[in-house]
Amino acid sequence: MKCKRCRRADAAVDLPSHHAAFCPACFFVFFRRQVTEGIRKQRLLVPEDRVLVCVSGGKDSLVLWDVLIDAGYETEGLYIDLGIEGYSDRSKEKVLAYAASRGKTPIVVELATEGVPIPEAARCARMQECSVCGTVKRYFFNRVAAEGKFTVVATGHNLDDETARLLGNLLHWQRDHLARQHPLLPGADGGLVRKVKPLWRVSEVETAAYGFLKGIDYVTEECPMSEDATSLVYKEALSRIEDRMPGTRIVFYQGFLDPSNPLRKRPETATPEDAPGADAAHRTEVAAEGGEGTARTCVECGAATFTETCSFCRLKERVRKARSLRATTVSR
Amino acid sequence: MYNASMIRVRLPQKKKELEFPGPRRVMDLLADAGVRPTTVIVTQGRRLLTKDHRVEDGTTIDVISVVSGG
Repeated sequence: MKCKRCRRADAAVDLPSHHAAFCPACFFVFFRRQVTEGIRKQRLLVPEDRVLVCVSGGKDSLVLWDVLIDAGYETEGLYIDLGIEGYSDRSKEKVLAYAASRGKTPIVVELATEGVPIPEAARCARMQECSVCGTVKRYFFNRVAAEGKFTVVATGHNLDDETARLLGNLLHWQRDHLARQHPLLPGADGGLVRKVKPLWRVSEVETAAYGFLKGIDYVTEECPMSEDATSLVYKEALSRIEDRMPGTRIVFYQGFLDPSNPLRKRPETATPEDAPGADAAHRTEVAAEGGEGTARTCVECGAATFTETCSFCRLKERVRKARSLRATTVSR
Repeated sequence: MYNASMIRVRLPQKKKELEFPGPRRVMDLLADAGVRPTTVIVTQGRRLLTKDHRVEDGTTIDVISVVSGG
């Protein structure tokens, strides 16, 4: 198979969803265009942005960082060490190695040092690991971005991630979640930094192919905590559909993002200008903080919250109490 | 010990290795291995293979899952 773009070199990547196949050099051009088009269409970034790229050591986040550096954005990487034995060490190694190859030093947050390693925090709080992980990551994304004066936080969510989430939200008629789902979550007062997903137009196969061809050494093993993640069920269903009907995923998601889509409006606040607005950001953080009402600052840490103490500080407190209870029991 | 007159298909994330007689296209090898094409990339050393690429006997290919959870 020959490259559909240059028509000379042998193709290395075939993309049935685009009726195309590319040699490595032309695939790089295609991939970067997909990402920059995604950024332009949804106005995710401006050239003056200072971007905090959240990197996990996996393919998507490292590829995102790579593309943004090559595109000329001012970026720094943020790695959150989740404190998962073995897996976190291997992930961190990949992040540090990639960063060094681009002359960068990532910001590293160690959850063990912060008192909330994910496995222990989930046990103490009697919550799903992925849920705890989400709470903790959101907290540090905002905190590190605010402390470092970053204008935006970028994550490596791709088309497969977003369509899996969309399918889950639709199947359960999560109308509030549907109204909030977007590659751009605007910032808001009180330390909520703008969050963007520049890879929303590219699939997992495309990011993996880009990473492989660019020689980016990423961690291929899955997080051991996510084995039972429901998103994997939705991804499997969508990949079956995509196999039979290539291009369905991008049509599904682009159709959803169409501003005229009534599902993107909250029933009680559906207005023409309500997509996506500053209110959407607040609503997301409200949901994350488990409350409604007026934003205020956490009495413990000063982070934006809608309850007296933010969800991160509440989690930290539960871990502290569980530890002290354990210590008392052991000493008896 | 693997058979040099066969195609060796490695699935590192599943810690699995399979052998098939060649020549065979990548898409047929994936079907035989029970792997959906939209969930993997297929490599041979530093090369990325398209799904219609014909693999010869004695070749080792890696099937890398691209699906991330969470």
